[in-house]
Amino acid sequence: MAGSAAAPPTPTVAPVDVPSGSPRGLRDPGWNVVVWNDPITLMSYVVLVFRRLFGYDIETATRLMLQVHHEGKAVVATQPREQAEVSVSRLHGFGLQATLARG
Amino acid sequence: MAEVRRRRDRIQLHLDAAERAVIERIVEQLSPRIGQVARTVPIAYSEAELQAEYERWVRPEVDRQRGADLDVIRDCVGSGEDVTVLTEAQALAWARGLNHLRLAAGGLLGVDDDGWEQRASSAQRRAPEFRVLMALGLLQEELVAALE
Repeated sequence: MAGSAAAPPTPTVAPVDVPSGSPRGLRDPGWNVVVWNDPITLMSYVVLVFRRLFGYDIETATRLMLQVHHEGKAVVATQPREQAEVSVSRLHGFGLQATLARG
Repeated sequence: MAEVRRRRDRIQLHLDAAERAVIERIVEQLSPRIGQVARTVPIAYSEAELQAEYERWVRPEVDRQRGADLDVIRDCVGSGEDVTVLTEAQALAWARGLNHLRLAAGGLLGVDDDGWEQRASSAQRRAPEFRVLMALGLLQEELVAALE
């Protein structure tokens, strides 16, 4: 019915811990979370994803998005392997092309 | 015309009956194709062994999330309501779901490089996948703006 509101079920979305630079421990040198350019995904959406998943401010998220767009890829975080894998899986959940690479 | 409005911590999605019917049809037609298009099944590791582990232990959760996102869209357009009030999480689910649908449409259309919108031939522009990409892209832009 026009004008009235309906609310569909709420999906679960948990934030990823904000990366703190390059956390390089003695046992885990860190893994790079790499996002690759994709001609279909909207730029504004990529910025939103970087902000939501990594807590970046708009300037950082936009700079990384533009790096992906112009250079084909960008390292968006360097994290211990398990955390990096969670980040990549969440990026995949948003439909972004993302891989892990040893730092 | 589809419209997204932000009101405090809620997001209002306005879709008339015709728009809801179109989106419902797109979801039904494209969702089975998700998973068949390479972009919708991204690789995490270059090492085969690590990738196999990822496929075994992580991919199912990614797929489950994608299914849940598409369910949010289905429930919304199937509600019979012109206005749906979304939480942020639901609006994010819409944005993700639209992206998955666009990736599938783009894959079927053969999009493989930036600038495809400008370079598309008249035949490509007439393809249903092209119109899906453009229409869902506009709606996704509005959702992203509301979420920002």
